[in-house]
Amino acid sequence: MIAHTERIRLTGTPTGHRVRLAEFGKEIDPLQREQLLAYGLNAQQPLTVLQQRPMTVILCEQMELALEHSVAHHIWVEEEARTPS
Amino acid sequence: MPHSPLSSTPASDNHTLVLVGHPNVGKSVLFHRLTGTYVNVSNYPGTTVEAARAQSRFDRSASLLDTPGVLALPSRSDDERATMRALLNENLRLIVQVGDAKNLRRTLNLTALLAELGVPLVIALNMTDEARARGIHIDTAALAEELETPAVSTVATGGEGIAALTDALAHAKVPAPLLRYDAETEQAIETVAALLAENAPHPHLAARGLAILLLGRDDEVERWLTNHPTGDELLARVHECAPLTGRDSLPARLARERGHAADALARTVTRQNAASDRSLSLLLGQIAVHPLWGWPLLLAVLYAVTLFVGDFGANILVRLMEEKLFGSLLNPAVTNFVTTRLGENWLADMLVGQYGLWTMGMTYALALILPIVTTFFLAFGALEDSGYFTRLSVITNRALATFGLNGRAVLPMVLGLGCVTMATLSTRILHTPRERLITTFLLAFAIPCSAQLGIALGVLGSISLGAVTLWGLSIVFILLFSGWLAGRLVKGHRIPLVTELPPMRMPVMGNVLKKTGGRLKWYLAEVIPLFLLGTFIMFALDRLGVLPWLIEAGKPLVTGWLGLPPEASAAFVMGFLRRDFGATGLFVLGSQLSALQTVVGMLTLTLFVPCIASVMMIVKEQGLRAATLMLAIIMPTAFFIGGLFNHFLRLFL
Repeated sequence: MIAHTERIRLTGTPTGHRVRLAEFGKEIDPLQREQLLAYGLNAQQPLTVLQQRPMTVILCEQMELALEHSVAHHIWVEEEARTPS
Repeated sequence: MPHSPLSSTPASDNHTLVLVGHPNVGKSVLFHRLTGTYVNVSNYPGTTVEAARAQSRFDRSASLLDTPGVLALPSRSDDERATMRALLNENLRLIVQVGDAKNLRRTLNLTALLAELGVPLVIALNMTDEARARGIHIDTAALAEELETPAVSTVATGGEGIAALTDALAHAKVPAPLLRYDAETEQAIETVAALLAENAPHPHLAARGLAILLLGRDDEVERWLTNHPTGDELLARVHECAPLTGRDSLPARLARERGHAADALARTVTRQNAASDRSLSLLLGQIAVHPLWGWPLLLAVLYAVTLFVGDFGANILVRLMEEKLFGSLLNPAVTNFVTTRLGENWLADMLVGQYGLWTMGMTYALALILPIVTTFFLAFGALEDSGYFTRLSVITNRALATFGLNGRAVLPMVLGLGCVTMATLSTRILHTPRERLITTFLLAFAIPCSAQLGIALGVLGSISLGAVTLWGLSIVFILLFSGWLAGRLVKGHRIPLVTELPPMRMPVMGNVLKKTGGRLKWYLAEVIPLFLLGTFIMFALDRLGVLPWLIEAGKPLVTGWLGLPPEASAAFVMGFLRRDFGATGLFVLGSQLSALQTVVGMLTLTLFVPCIASVMMIVKEQGLRAATLMLAIIMPTAFFIGGLFNHFLRLFL
């Protein structure tokens, strides 16, 4: 059961957290959006944040992807499903 | 659409099998397995920037085409456009889609588009061993059933699954489409497909696939259409058919829907088991891009390369080759052989004299350059096979942002340390003409190639570590400054970096040796004729009295401004042909140069005109006008900076 559906920015996600991709912000260039989709970043895709500096590095299934902050900042994610405490 | 088996297609009509897939999924290794032809292979994306063709081993009537990796289609970058051109223009028998078994979802994302092209297709799910190590099991039978065409597991590096793949090629069919787009988009696709089928039918690609590419704004397909007599009008009608979309552009919407279909099918045929421990690979990968630890690791890597190339290659091996083999054995024997048969005349002088084809041309190429480039290529090959280079793009991204570039540009620059000519070609992996222009300029100006780098390390290292550091820091400073300036002068905007990081792994010795062998073959085939030509030019200039005149004419510049001995003019004349040839010219001056003169000479030659092969590649990639402009900037600037350093350093030394 999903208890929390608030969205946070990918750049604001602590290292080691597992999140789900919510949506791309409109600030992301259309070509770059296509590029992200080609890498398999679809809505609800689970991602693990591996590091935030100097670039955001995420693990998407078995693929490590490095994203510059100007892109990662406009990617909205949700915390993975949690049961209410 | 009917699914035509391969056997129904006459081999004489269409005989090309094309390998298509994402970057870094092993297409080139598979190409090697299927043809016996070796093309450059690396553990980073973008190694193949031009299609390579060879006859297949399994069917002598068929040729196989290795295409540059595509992140996605519709094509957006030069390497993607090259692949799209191959699909459009080749007489295709079938497509072999090479996919990464670790990332089936992404592989199927591309399949979703290729399946619409109406060409028989076989999927080779490569790197199955790495997928297994991660606990991923793909039911290839279920996948093949769903796609209605064969899907085969392979490990191209180990030769696993190659026989099954070649067998499967005979059963290739046009795959079943993975999805139906939303109703509005489907209507637009049908309208455009009907328009194409009626007015501009393609000889072998399905109108529906072309319609999807056109609605996705593939400029290579648009170019193909505009080559049709009524193409411009047709293209305008295609654009009119494109439905207005919401937040997403139509190409992004098409890509999103393909992504969802690929995701669903990948989930259906994949099972995730317990994975083996790959924490060391992940940890190493994270250290390599760590904001703090990434830099010491980079310095350690550079230090190790300097020791291996500069010390072992440029000192120990060169001494062995030059002094022991050539100096004591070969050159006296060849000289004796020539002079006893020809006597002391101009022909003997041309072969074994001061500017002799053997004593200078072959000795430079084999005794001085070969050991240095061999050690460099070995070190370079090990690093690229480890997956380290792509990680460099992450830690250098911020620095390259000052040039208006992103970290991806570091890959051609690092390749440039191997060979500037190859690196100029690899600028195609960059996404915009602006990025390619700036990177090409920096390669031509301030990136020394392996031979030159090795000689510089050898010559300056024999003086002191300080001389190497001074030269290195100067080059880095000039690179940064010229890059910063170019970034401001060349119009356009910067594309933020998004890049896949291939897994870090222990370099495979077989891969490194194969790569080194392939590069040395290519290098020597280019170097030896040019060195011989350069030596002959030097000999002719000397005989005709032009060389002494040139040395005299160059005196104000070489001895006055640069503060070098007059003989150094010859090195610059040689440098016109190849920078490393010129650097070797300085190398042999040895003790005649002071420490300051050596640093100034090496610095000027490093910045001096790129070699002939590089200039030709720049003309090919950027056009004659841009190449001429670059040379017009580079040559005077090199002398200007060399002179500035000479006068500045004299204040302190």
